[in-house]
Amino acid sequence: MSEKPPIPAEAKSTGPPAMPPNRPRKAPELPAFERRNWLIHLHYIRREYDRCKILIKEQLAESSDMCEYAYYVQALIKRQEGSIQEALELFQTCALLNSGNANNLKQVARCLFLLARHKAAIDVYHEAAKLNDSDWEILHNIGVCHMYMQNFTKAKESLEQALTIRKNDLSYIMLAKIYLMEKNVDKALDVLNDALKISPENIEILTTLGLLYLRVGDYHKSFEHLGNSMTFDSSNVKAILASGSMMQQHQDFDVALSKYRIASDKHPESPALWNNIGMCFFGKKKFVAAISCLKRASYFAPFEWKILHNLGLVHLTMEQYASAFHFLSAAINFKPKYGPLFSLLAVALSNLNDNDNAIEAYKQAIKYDSNNLFTQLNYAIFLYKIDDKRGAANAFKAAEALRDSMDASKISRDVLDTFKTFGAILQTGQSYKKSEPPVQNQEPARPQHPIRQTIQSPAPDLPTPPSHPVGEQPPSYDMVMKQSVLDSRKDVMEKRGRQGALPPI
Amino acid sequence: MAEITSREESKGYQDYEGNKKWLNAHYDPLASLYTFSQCIALSDINADGENKLIIADLGTGTYDMKLKVYRGTSLMSENAIIDLPTGVVTFYMDLTEPRTPAIAVASGSFIYIYKNLRPYFKFTLPSLPIDEKEESAWIQAKDDLIDVSVLREILDGLRSKGVILTVRSMKFLRLPPHELSTFVTLHKNSPLKMQTVVTCLETLKKSHSEDDAISCLVLGTEHLAIYILDPEAFTILTKIDIPAVPVFLSVNGLYDVDYRIVVACRNGAVYSLKRGSEVKKPVFQLSAQPVGLQRIGKNIVVACMDQTLQCYSTKGNKLWLIRMPADILTMEAMEDKQKGFKGVLVGIENHEVHVYRDKYLVNVIKTEDAVTGIKFGKFGREDSTLVMTTKGGSLLIKMLKRTAKFEEKDATTSSGPPASQQQKLNVPKKTKLFVDQTLRERNNCVVMHQQFQHDLYRIRLEAARNYAESLNKSLNPISTNPQEPLKLSVHVNGIGPMFKLIVQLQNTSLNSPSVGLFLTFHFDSSLYSVEKTLIPVPFLVPGLNYTFESYVECKSDKGISDTIKAYLCRRSSSTPIITGIINMPVSESIIVS
Repeated sequence: MSEKPPIPAEAKSTGPPAMPPNRPRKAPELPAFERRNWLIHLHYIRREYDRCKILIKEQLAESSDMCEYAYYVQALIKRQEGSIQEALELFQTCALLNSGNANNLKQVARCLFLLARHKAAIDVYHEAAKLNDSDWEILHNIGVCHMYMQNFTKAKESLEQALTIRKNDLSYIMLAKIYLMEKNVDKALDVLNDALKISPENIEILTTLGLLYLRVGDYHKSFEHLGNSMTFDSSNVKAILASGSMMQQHQDFDVALSKYRIASDKHPESPALWNNIGMCFFGKKKFVAAISCLKRASYFAPFEWKILHNLGLVHLTMEQYASAFHFLSAAINFKPKYGPLFSLLAVALSNLNDNDNAIEAYKQAIKYDSNNLFTQLNYAIFLYKIDDKRGAANAFKAAEALRDSMDASKISRDVLDTFKTFGAILQTGQSYKKSEPPVQNQEPARPQHPIRQTIQSPAPDLPTPPSHPVGEQPPSYDMVMKQSVLDSRKDVMEKRGRQGALPPI
Repeated sequence: MAEITSREESKGYQDYEGNKKWLNAHYDPLASLYTFSQCIALSDINADGENKLIIADLGTGTYDMKLKVYRGTSLMSENAIIDLPTGVVTFYMDLTEPRTPAIAVASGSFIYIYKNLRPYFKFTLPSLPIDEKEESAWIQAKDDLIDVSVLREILDGLRSKGVILTVRSMKFLRLPPHELSTFVTLHKNSPLKMQTVVTCLETLKKSHSEDDAISCLVLGTEHLAIYILDPEAFTILTKIDIPAVPVFLSVNGLYDVDYRIVVACRNGAVYSLKRGSEVKKPVFQLSAQPVGLQRIGKNIVVACMDQTLQCYSTKGNKLWLIRMPADILTMEAMEDKQKGFKGVLVGIENHEVHVYRDKYLVNVIKTEDAVTGIKFGKFGREDSTLVMTTKGGSLLIKMLKRTAKFEEKDATTSSGPPASQQQKLNVPKKTKLFVDQTLRERNNCVVMHQQFQHDLYRIRLEAARNYAESLNKSLNPISTNPQEPLKLSVHVNGIGPMFKLIVQLQNTSLNSPSVGLFLTFHFDSSLYSVEKTLIPVPFLVPGLNYTFESYVECKSDKGISDTIKAYLCRRSSSTPIITGIINMPVSESIIVS
């Protein structure tokens, strides 16, 4: 092993032997098949695939198709280029050439997984596990396959096993996902909190935790996690949307807007973002801007009922009842069993003098959402207004019962005032017109269950400050206001009273 | 070459903020170097106090491999290398004066040592253990105890049992039958060998840590082992088996005292080897394959294929992760002792080289091509020199200005809100008309709503009526009757007064042909005359398109037009099966004449 100087004249040729047959003593050296694996690898990790392919071709020709690594890299490249079936076949060739390498089997399984053949993938992973039984990756992937096959128990089992081998963010995230699919939010929170211990800067975990806390109503923790995730990545759109919607709830519209500016730079076509921006403007009483933004949101997501709901609400506020009717009925087409939509529709219809349909709408609203104080109260006022005094009295009784069953501190004073005045009117009969003071738009109770639609697009529901009243026809006003109020509480969107003057553009 | 034409642009690069910290020492766009960071070294190989640049050039990738030595800006020497060079290091192998470092070039399964730029020694990696049965089979073949077909059977049997065979046996098994015996006669007399290939090469100081102390060579092989070689006798001091193929090494410490070798492997795992310990579990596993590995102080910095730069503690805890704007091509350590600066240089695909201190980007150098090889160190007499080679083969040498300072934090990343927070929101504007319409709706909403509902009902009624009528009269071009699965389409060609009607008929069923049909046209005879008013339709084979044609003449010159209806009828029935309605174009004969 220690010959003298290198660069000897003897042929250590790289190509095939070119020895004359009459001198058999000096056999040419046979180069190892793996001779250029390192070069293929170096080009592969730089994504210089063209160069790689040439090298692979040469090396396969030189080794008469026996070079495992060349096939392996070729398969990796094919897979990245999207020809998964071809990659699968190449990996299978690798597994044939070297059946003792668990990696080859793992790659075969991965291809099967990408081809959505989860069952076959699990089988191959089990094969691979026989060669290497303490591999975190195998167990993790088996878990993910089970998850896609909706086999949650088994999925959790193997993910937890994977975690005992090695703590890894990915396994935690998948585990949390499964618990979420099972609607087990508490367990998911536990898992993610564990994950945070090993990877405190993982933005995805932080954001997901923030959104989950938001869902269970723990605003404080939610905001903390979202804030953390934004310190690590100040332009994380998910976190911006979620925390922005919380700021909107606290009527911090300017701060929310400044955050949304970052998001709009990154995702200029996000419907949830424009919806939230629109509702910020609504909160600031810039109604024309609000309508512009909401219409853009609706353009990006024409089938999103929440945006249509918000559009309906803004138009109601603008006293554009005919337009409001269209947006609301469109929303109802997408979300047919949601009380607050009918409640809003009823207000629109009553303003369009379509009393029969308004009554129907109120009935639907109460049917789907019987605990809505505003709907009940508005219904009573509406019935009174169309001279159905008996119906009004009944509806009012129902509203009172509802009010008494609720936590008094959560009902705003305006609503209680309206109860008082309207109760008095009902008893004295006709005199109401004079006696009743114009009711202010009421502040809705703090939303109890803000409904967030999806993780990515939390829509805000923001309460708006009372607007100045306009006072000609008190009863009808009330109605609208209340109405609007109630919707706000519900979901996402906004509610708001109406407003007299045209807003600034 | 493209580089020459881009000279003018290069002025733009010089003005670039980050480049101002560097002096351009040399730029050779035509150096045509094909090399990597591993194949670049800076060392005082002539012991004259001036560091030379040593580059192992892969040539074309198959031939023309060279060991090039630059002194200043000129090429000082070139030595041919037989096989592709994997790595180049320089090290002191003895204590003789003057202290001249040797160059080690790893290539294939050999390490070539050069001293004073002369070939000095060739080290061959030891052969891997060969399966006994295979070996005895070849010995028997050599002594002519067995013939080629028996040899082939034995080897084939071994292979199917999963035994790893030598290259010779594998080649033998792939040969066509008539070449077997020539192959055996050619090779049987040389000893059977199983060679491995070097994948990475580093140095490790032996017993003293001075700059010119004697160093051992550390090398990783394709067959899952790390060897440490004695620099004087070239014997193997230590062999450590690792679970995956090593690709990047980072070595610290002294061989005789204590050392630590951090190894990044092809499977994305990073292992840490210590004196006298075995390797089982990786220190950490990466999410993508590593592109570079460096130890900076106590931390391990790894560049990955997924455009990230990650930092781990020696215990394997992830400390930070930075995303890069493009693919990382190479990474190298940068240490400036005078300034006390330690960082990493990262060459990325978008023609930039980033300098990171910890996780802070402190400098960005723009280049004209993507940098694939980087080395930082003393070149000539200048301590802080940056040598870069690019994808296109050019060579760049830059020197750090003595006044240059790297701020702790840069302005572009970290702290402070992103710039986009200051931008104005692109809220769509609304016109005055919009406001007017809003006012109008506000005043007349009840009327608008009622009118709308009224019209909506009417339009629904109208639609329903027309639909019912077309069903009754079979006015639709696709049959609704499952018994008659037919489709009809009509085109009009021509500008008038003569038009050509082209009727296409298709039987859309799978296997029930239609028979006994005919086509006829209904038209205003005062306006049009149709050449063939009745076209008998032959047997319609399912799936095929049948085309029928008829000329139509427009008799009016008043520039009016009408519709023509094409009926497909059955002889027995008076209602058509399907109808095609043709809106005839206006005859352009008037204009023409």
